[in-house]
Amino acid sequence: MKHLKTHSQIVISLLPIPKSRNQMDRQTVEKVARSAHIALTDEEMDRYSRDLEEILGYFEMLDDAPDIDSRTIDPIGVADVMRDDSPSTNIDADILLTDMNTYERYVRGPRLL
Amino acid sequence: MNFILSALKETNAKYGMFHSFTEKTDSGDAKFLFSAKDNLTSYDMETCAGSRILTGYRPPFDATAIAKMRAAGGMLIGKTNMDEFGFGTFSVNSAYEIPLNPYDRERACGGSSGGSACAAAVIEDHVSLGVSTGGSISCPASFCGVYGIAPTYGRVSRFGLIDYGNSLDKIGVLSAKARDLRTYTKIIAGKDERDPTSCMQPPLIDVAVDVKSIAVPKEGTEGLSKDVESAFFNAVEALKSAGIDVDIVQMPSLKYAIPAYYVLATSEASTNLARYVGMRYGMQNGDLSLKFDDYFSSVRSKGFGDEAKRRILLGTFTRMVGYRDRYYAKARQVRQLVIDEYKKVLSTHDLILTPTMPFVAPRFDDIEKMSALDSYKADYLTVPPNLTGMPHVSVPCGYDGKGMPVGMQFVADHWCENSLFSVAEQWETMFDRRPA
Repeated sequence: MKHLKTHSQIVISLLPIPKSRNQMDRQTVEKVARSAHIALTDEEMDRYSRDLEEILGYFEMLDDAPDIDSRTIDPIGVADVMRDDSPSTNIDADILLTDMNTYERYVRGPRLL
Repeated sequence: MNFILSALKETNAKYGMFHSFTEKTDSGDAKFLFSAKDNLTSYDMETCAGSRILTGYRPPFDATAIAKMRAAGGMLIGKTNMDEFGFGTFSVNSAYEIPLNPYDRERACGGSSGGSACAAAVIEDHVSLGVSTGGSISCPASFCGVYGIAPTYGRVSRFGLIDYGNSLDKIGVLSAKARDLRTYTKIIAGKDERDPTSCMQPPLIDVAVDVKSIAVPKEGTEGLSKDVESAFFNAVEALKSAGIDVDIVQMPSLKYAIPAYYVLATSEASTNLARYVGMRYGMQNGDLSLKFDDYFSSVRSKGFGDEAKRRILLGTFTRMVGYRDRYYAKARQVRQLVIDEYKKVLSTHDLILTPTMPFVAPRFDDIEKMSALDSYKADYLTVPPNLTGMPHVSVPCGYDGKGMPVGMQFVADHWCENSLFSVAEQWETMFDRRPA
């Protein structure tokens, strides 16, 4: 039986198609993953390389957007919101330590050297 | 107040909307029952945000929104399933249970507040707290046939919310009743010194207003499935019959919203998720004999799911030297461009209206065929208002031939939630909602 497109596939095919491809090769994925502290298998490396190349290709349309002089971070104005600089404790340290992997109240972690 | 824990668990066995339940077996003197998305911390229940890396995390404090609901007499009955850290459109990207659509269990609830929308649809007199970053309240509200509001960015404190994108995250309300949006948004809203972005807000006004004019962007009516298009334009005609002027307008910047949103959201997410390293909370069972960096990489690789890894990689890449200006800096410019365009249209109209999603809730087997980019593009109607930080509400507006709900989404200017409450309440009197 001929495969019929679903609604979602029809909608997506109507959206703009990327002009060209970025070079999100395995080496770049490996470099990014190392920087992000994620160890990838060979299969993941191939898959993410493919996915990210497709995604970044689509993002190329940002190049066509008009340049404007703006450095917006928050979508609303945020100013004069400093609170008083008075020390306080909301949660007792012993409570915070309850579910932590600790040794004599020190948080356990990997060796540095 | 009727609350029986065993009955709730039976309902959950059918739909899978809850990640965890209260240990209380009756509601005592509670005035109302509510649930909350599992990325809002709660002292009495595990909080995992859909991620394996937070398995076993029992926060010692309540998120401000949950604390305010409890203070108003609410009883938190459970935490709802979601896409991992909010990364998804269908609530299928989870280390835990995937919620099933209340109208057809072979279909998705939408995401990422899918469990919350499902709970609002199937539990009587129930309200659920959801969180929206790029459409995670509107989308599941549409797919599950309920009302959902994402208030103005900063209206509700984000303290106790497990961050996805700090400049985008908003806590809101889902319910089968329009009136609940006003009632419960008022409860959770307000200044909180623990979230500076919540401090600059004008108060919510509690007097209904007449909505007189609505703009429908032409770009928001393209690429729709036939059922959605038909239900949407029938609803538009009903609004016109009620005396509301409806104009078709052009909003050309909307086409840039998806790439701008995904650059900003993943950039923020990749830095937020750097804190999950297998120490202090959640998964802490890594091999401590490993070298320093290897330990963190090992834990994170096991703890994060497929989509979380994809978004971390994407967000890390778009912030890297040599790419930052092209992606991150440009996305910030586009964000302002989209805000300016919304402001311009809203200077002459009370609200902007589009369908919420371009199609009804898809089947799980169809979702499996979608690529990551396909699912990102499916958010093209919900992402723009989220990028602007403007409040928006999704209301059920029709059903397809199989009885699946269709939603439409109203957007108001910053801090103008009252127009949204008013139009949703007016719409509720005009529309015959079919219970799940």
